[in-house]
Amino acid sequence: MAKQRVVVDPVTRIEGHLRVEAMLNESGVIGDAISSGTMWRGIELILKGRDPRDAWAFCERICGVCTTVHALASVRCVENALGIRIPENANIIRNIMFLTQMVQDHVIHFYHLHALDWVDLVSALGADPSKTAALAQSVSPSWPKSSPGYFADIQKTLKKFVESGQLGLFQNAYWGHPAYKLPAEANLMAVAHYLEALNWQKEIIKIHTIFGGKNPHPNYLVGGMASTIDLQSDNAINMERLNMIRDLIKQAAVIVEQMYIPDLLAVASFYPEWTQIGGGLGNYMVYGDLPAKDISDASSFRFPPGVILNKNLSEVLAVDPTNPEEIREEVTHSWYEYPDQVASLHPWDGVTVPKYTGPKPPYSQLDETGTYSWLKSPRWKGHAVEVGPLARMLVGYAHGRDDFREVVNEALGRLNVPATALFSTLGRTAARGLETRLGIKWLQDEFDHLIGNLKGGDTLVADTSRWEPSTWPGEARGFGFTEAPRGSLGHWIHIKNEKIESYQIVVPSTWNASPKDARGQKGAYEAALVGTPMADPERPVEILRTIHSFDPCLACASHVLGPDGRKLAEVIVR
Amino acid sequence: MISLDYDETLQAAAGHQAEEIRERIMREHPGEYVLAVEGNAPTGDGGVYCTVAGRTFLDILKESAEGAKAIIAWGSCASDGCVQAASPNPTGAKPVHEIIHSHPIINVPGCPPIAEVMTGVLTYILTFDKLPELDRFGRPKMFYGQRIHDKCYRRSYFDAGQFVETWEDDGARKGWCLYKMGCRGPMTYNSCSTFKWNNGVSFPIGSGHGCIGCSENKFWDNGPFYTRLTNVPLPGVESTPDKIGKYAAVAAGVGVAAHAASYAANQGIKKAKKNRQTKKLLESDKEE
Amino acid sequence: MARRVHPINIIDVARSPHRYFRRKYVWQWPVRIFHWVNAVAVTVLFSTGLYISHPILAPAGEPFNNFVMATVRQVHFIFAFIFLINFLWRIYWFWFGNNYARSGFPFFWRRSWWKDLFRQVGDYFSLKRGHVHLGHNALAGLSYTIFVIGLGWVQIFTGLALYSESNPGGFWSKLTGWVIPLLGGSMQTHMWHHLFAWGFIVFAILHVYIVFYDGQQYKNGLVTSMISGVKFYRNGDLENDKWLS
Ligand code: HEM
Ligand code: HEM
Ligand code: SF4
Repeated sequence: MAKQRVVVDPVTRIEGHLRVEAMLNESGVIGDAISSGTMWRGIELILKGRDPRDAWAFCERICGVCTTVHALASVRCVENALGIRIPENANIIRNIMFLTQMVQDHVIHFYHLHALDWVDLVSALGADPSKTAALAQSVSPSWPKSSPGYFADIQKTLKKFVESGQLGLFQNAYWGHPAYKLPAEANLMAVAHYLEALNWQKEIIKIHTIFGGKNPHPNYLVGGMASTIDLQSDNAINMERLNMIRDLIKQAAVIVEQMYIPDLLAVASFYPEWTQIGGGLGNYMVYGDLPAKDISDASSFRFPPGVILNKNLSEVLAVDPTNPEEIREEVTHSWYEYPDQVASLHPWDGVTVPKYTGPKPPYSQLDETGTYSWLKSPRWKGHAVEVGPLARMLVGYAHGRDDFREVVNEALGRLNVPATALFSTLGRTAARGLETRLGIKWLQDEFDHLIGNLKGGDTLVADTSRWEPSTWPGEARGFGFTEAPRGSLGHWIHIKNEKIESYQIVVPSTWNASPKDARGQKGAYEAALVGTPMADPERPVEILRTIHSFDPCLACASHVLGPDGRKLAEVIVR
Repeated sequence: MISLDYDETLQAAAGHQAEEIRERIMREHPGEYVLAVEGNAPTGDGGVYCTVAGRTFLDILKESAEGAKAIIAWGSCASDGCVQAASPNPTGAKPVHEIIHSHPIINVPGCPPIAEVMTGVLTYILTFDKLPELDRFGRPKMFYGQRIHDKCYRRSYFDAGQFVETWEDDGARKGWCLYKMGCRGPMTYNSCSTFKWNNGVSFPIGSGHGCIGCSENKFWDNGPFYTRLTNVPLPGVESTPDKIGKYAAVAAGVGVAAHAASYAANQGIKKAKKNRQTKKLLESDKEE
Repeated sequence: MARRVHPINIIDVARSPHRYFRRKYVWQWPVRIFHWVNAVAVTVLFSTGLYISHPILAPAGEPFNNFVMATVRQVHFIFAFIFLINFLWRIYWFWFGNNYARSGFPFFWRRSWWKDLFRQVGDYFSLKRGHVHLGHNALAGLSYTIFVIGLGWVQIFTGLALYSESNPGGFWSKLTGWVIPLLGGSMQTHMWHHLFAWGFIVFAILHVYIVFYDGQQYKNGLVTSMISGVKFYRNGDLENDKWLS
């Protein structure tokens, strides 16, 4: 087989615009790959000169999917700069919103953005509903919706859909591709749960609506939260609101434990070879998140921070994003320009000057030796690293934390694979699920913690002592971070004379989708694609599997990199 | 029947198979499809800031609009440019109505719009086979006909004059009006205060934070969000109307005082002169 | 030999004023009514407007029997319409009143008007009792045109546009609603309405001072003229009003 170049653009089922070009070698295996963020919006330039208290709203709009994480990182960086300590309740509420986001996002990712890479929708038509019911009962005995009638109905709907020639969103996918391995019954079950998850995801985010007024884009506040708590008022967080939250958490626990995790393990068991493919860099980084009380106390984080290099789980290195020596961004292969030809900059000194030097659209091919992306290349002490659920699970595991060890070991045992299986495409996908299990448990804990505080009479949700700009120092720098569903997110701010002097954002997908650096080190996507065998280069489902296992969010990456004509949807009126 | 055939975030197909679908719709259903655009087209530098399948979003938008029956600009991005068009608009992002002039465009702003509003607009078109009546800003009157403020459940506190002063005061807990915290409800047309969000659970004001006016044109540049009035757009200086007004009034007062003082001094001199003259006259009278 | 100069003696004037001053009925009653209604309306509009912007009286108790903000807004709107009707009334009287009712008009196409303008500025600064007018001098006229007529229109249009916001498509909205997109949105409309409100304060400070100064300097009874309608002048003074015709 001759050398061949496979171009996937747009990579769909992600937020934002991503293009992947993979170079196959003679045996049909990917030898080299590049990933390109094809959009740039320039949020950082827009923020300059504005009121720092407004920044969260701008940042939040970087992305429509993980909407809250940028707002969270933004208020944290402003609070850090101004020396504001938020009340304990505000911290808990933010943690609850964080976890809600994470759980919802992971489930959506699995069913709606990722599952179709593994599940052949069309083959579900040939499934036997009663066998499907039996299968469903065996993987998740207590999940109620598993009768043959239920599956027959789903199948009927699906049939009507396919027969009318109206596959809608499902048109033209790679159905019937030899890489699909699930039996028809498992496919039908997955289709049913695709629909269940679609229904449920709009329930869980009501937690955001309660605290933040709406979702997407709930409201945050520098200094705490705006949602006051008053158990004696019907206009604040009160018993009715708390009951609703409690119920939503309970419902989410059922979905995750009885539907998502069983499905995940069931699908995984059919694709053992994917524990060998897509490992990529082997370097993992986590900033950490979910403080018990105060974001400055890293030892209290539920997600411990740290870096793992070369898959070495016996050593966790410390990470300090505020140290200008550790995190540096390069633009060697990006459509940006740095002043004075400097090679790399720490985000506090970062500049965002776009300079498009790619091919003139329309183009069919990018040049991997030149510039090819709207993403910069962030590096930690010169290393390319991967961020995200897998990184978090590995760092927690390597720290020896019991809660992490428990869920990881249980899953490894169920699938009967060694810990090294985690360094793979499937490992990434599984880590997301395991993290969701932790998330559900923690949601419950945080909620109980909140109730405990309220019992003790503490209802404070905002510290307003530094609200007025006149109380601020003339100049201040701050760093805010969070563990977004897709990985470590950092915001760096420089405030001068009550205004934003500069603002830089390094998002998870920039770490993962970054182009090569000056030394030729690939970004995480690129590295993970290398070595992937392709059955049919015309229908590159293998590329999608690995790329989707990262849950790319190019809207975010391209805030910097530039996504935002987000999408073009067409609807036919008949 | 609604069939959502091309949506990058959700659809199963990828790569050129995905683009094929778009092209097929255009080929097979000219004049029949409704093009719903999310996001907007960066027009700077020939559109390179956003490309799909190696082509600019701008290009694709123009091409897709050609055979559309109508265009729905979904969300503030498409209908007014939203955050990426905020000053200084580094990518030259433009809303749909500034690019396409040949087709009816329905603006459904909001960041994001309320889901029920989005489906409402679409199903209205399908059910009644006509485009909704639009307001001055191209928004369907049925959902953007009244201000948040005029239907806000905190309006009684507004009329009473009871306002939240800080985020943690008694008023904040009792749900007083957020006017003084910069609430944009009085300037914003949308259905949030009636439909509420996520199946009627709450809406921004209901959860204690003011409205930021996300369905109004250029709302990003109307900040700061936590002050009631936006700044006076003077180049270089940033000032509130009150600051400028006070300076002007003080300047007028100082000018007047200075004039009065010099007049008084002048009168004093004149008087003294006059007195001297009179004295002289009297003396000369005497001499005579 | 010294010449005798006889300064005006207040006692002489009181004894036989007609030797020194002549009376002239200048401001007809519609002008006077306009003036005071306008002065009161502007004062009320400014103070209620500022209150609307920075409401500070927070009444205690439940909202159902408190209407502080609503009342202040109501007063603002009532006086806004009084201001508007009064304003239109004065414009009407511009055509139907006496010549003095038209004297404030900026005749910027006439050289004599420009001459009067600069002369008046010079006189005020040099503190001289220079040339004299029975109607408005060019500077005064210009200030009314800019600060009262000009700002008046701005406040009326922006104010009515804001007023129309609660009923889009209604009468006021059709009449003045276009102002909002013209200014770039409701926020901008509020901002300009608020900024220009201060223009009236600046005007009032200058105006009231100049009226008192002018009255003192020219001894023309200016201060009371807006009540009685009568101004005083000396023989020969009138010649300076020629630029008007
Ligand atoms: C001399 C004339 C006027 C002055 C000095 C004045 C002053 C003000 C000021 C300072 C505000 C507060 C603006 C803000 O901060 O949002 C205001 C608001 C307002 N004014 Fe006026 N105004 C005048 C005339 C008018 C007129 C003729 C109208 C016509 C109806 C009007 C209608 C309004 C409205 C509707 C508001 C907004 C009230 C609200 O937002 O609740 N004003 N005015
Ligand atoms: C104690 C307060 C005031 C006094 C004694 C006063 C007196 C006068 C006098 C004597 C004139 C005629 C001046 C001339 O010959 O040019 C005049 C004209 C005028 N004043 Fe005042 N004024 C007062 C306050 C105000 C205020 C607060 C306003 C409104 C903001 C105002 C608006 C005007 C206008 C518009 C004219 C022109 C009248 C016309 O031609 O219809 N005045 N005022
Ligand atoms: S909270 Fe906002 S919308 Fe509601 S009454 Fe107050 S100002 Fe109006």
